Amino acid sequence: MTLRDYAIRRIIIIVPTFFLITVIIFVLIHLAPGDPTNVMMGPHGGLSQELREAIRIEFGLDQPLYTQYFIWLGKLFRGDLGYSYLTYQPVLDMISLRIPLTLELMLTAEIISIVVAVILGVIAAVKHYSLTDAVCSVGALVGYSTPDFWLALLLILVLSLWFKVFPSSLPSSIGVTFATPFDAFLDHVKHLFLPAVSLVTVWTAYLFRMVRSAMLEVLTQDYITTARAKGLKEWIVIYKHALRNALLPIITYVGNSVGFLLSGAAVIETIFAWPGLGALMVERTTVRDYPALMGLSIVIAIMVLIANLCSDIAYAVVDPRIRYD
Amino acid sequence: MHRRFRKNSEKKNEKVHRPSRATRLFIVWRKLRKSELAIVGLSIVLFMSMVALLSPIIAPYDPEWRGTARQAPSMEHVLGTDNLGRDMLSLVMHGARISVYVGVASVLIEVAIGVSIGMAAGYFGGIIDEILMRITDVIFTLPTLMMLLLAISMFEVRGIHIIVLMIGALGWPFLARVVRSEYLSLREETYVEAAKSMGATSWRIMVRHILPNILSVIIVLATMDIPWAILYEATLTYLGFGDPMSSSWGVLLQRGYPHMQSAWWIMAFPGMALLITSLGFNLLGDGLRDALDIKVRE
Repeated sequence: MTLRDYAIRRIIIIVPTFFLITVIIFVLIHLAPGDPTNVMMGPHGGLSQELREAIRIEFGLDQPLYTQYFIWLGKLFRGDLGYSYLTYQPVLDMISLRIPLTLELMLTAEIISIVVAVILGVIAAVKHYSLTDAVCSVGALVGYSTPDFWLALLLILVLSLWFKVFPSSLPSSIGVTFATPFDAFLDHVKHLFLPAVSLVTVWTAYLFRMVRSAMLEVLTQDYITTARAKGLKEWIVIYKHALRNALLPIITYVGNSVGFLLSGAAVIETIFAWPGLGALMVERTTVRDYPALMGLSIVIAIMVLIANLCSDIAYAVVDPRIRYD
Repeated sequence: MHRRFRKNSEKKNEKVHRPSRATRLFIVWRKLRKSELAIVGLSIVLFMSMVALLSPIIAPYDPEWRGTARQAPSMEHVLGTDNLGRDMLSLVMHGARISVYVGVASVLIEVAIGVSIGMAAGYFGGIIDEILMRITDVIFTLPTLMMLLLAISMFEVRGIHIIVLMIGALGWPFLARVVRSEYLSLREETYVEAAKSMGATSWRIMVRHILPNILSVIIVLATMDIPWAILYEATLTYLGFGDPMSSSWGVLLQRGYPHMQSAWWIMAFPGMALLITSLGFNLLGDGLRDALDIKVRE
């Protein structure tokens, strides 16, 4: 199978998956007991029966469930995610405003995790049973077990309340005019640092363990012995022969990380008042704004699907064996 | 009469061929004991379970007791007092009850669902496998916290049992995939063929013949999932989707947050308890995996 065939087949598989996702999300939301118009009434009530009926018709809530699903699906394909029950804002506008900040946070987190995990993972594997290995491995175990939101609170306490090195919330300082665009950028990076670190610690620890064990396995292979026997320099053996092969499975993990990091982003963004998708999701769950929640879930699911698709295709590019499975 | 006789002979044969359950347990324990980290993990898990079990007796104060608010840690209040003047140590101890309950109960639900689905998919194969695995894949790829938030938003009443139920109902896909692949390979074994030829029903083969052989895999995966269940519960309650009156560690953290600068201990200790508990289960899971010599295949 050529790479193109593989890619096309992989893309086709997405279609049924996507439909299943829409069904699951729709069913989850519509299993909700109680009338959605209760949410619109707000905590104080006071909607007349006629008005309530009018709203039900307006939002299509008087239709049977499957009709509602197909209407929703049809609108979805036209890029219409409906209107929020509470603010009557188009859901798509709400989401598209928030996407860039989440992407920025995730991208930073991905870069940090890959760089740190690969470097430390290789060192720990090469110096197996050394003190460095032990320290890194125990550190990874602790990092892996740390609740990310607690780490975020600790970082805020120590680095922004006690030592005042980093700001504790929002993506940039408010009410400050910057002399140059570079100053504004620097300010933004400072705001980005704490959320990114607290988001990525758990994942870095996990990735480190994967890199380390993959490296350990590769280093025992015969071709490594051959490479050494040929008299290659040790760093060439490690980086050109071992690491390249050890990194193959890591590509899949990086694809999986998107879902994991998006989960973490919900709580981390909320803590740092970082107005991204995760914070929006938490906000909208609190007020049970169903159209917004459905739209958000669909957008997040699409992001995850694309990430997995990319990692699968990348894997097929670097490892041709996978195309023949 | 006839049946009893057959059963006995079955048992006898078993004894000849493999060590008794107690012996096998002892072998696992001997391997587990060799790993220092696993023993640390086991000790933490046992300690936390004891605290959870005995907290009404051993906690120095009643969780409702109130003294001076925001007292720093001292001899009288080892972990200080919170913003309402309650003893932090007692609160954290009562929180252990919730976390241990969440960890165990939701993982039990998860195992029940995951094993049933993986078993059916792997044993029957074909269209059943195809349908079940598509659903499994979808739930597996979607971000767990997002699904949990969606599920929680369905309920007007928010309580610990709903959270447990949801974590269990959404946490099974990985286990199901592993169980499925085990069944895929084990259904080709000769003992399955033998049981089939003797007229055993599919159900009997799945549950009585194959399941005991993959118990160790299930135990290891379940142990490794407990810390995640605990962390998800704490995250949800921290975000305010739990019972605000409970002493769940997530609720304590949420309460401590606004008072962080003047009383860091309110927020530090519940988080520390979370970290230690989850570390304990992770260490024990790693140790069990090595002792039972399991390679998770998917």
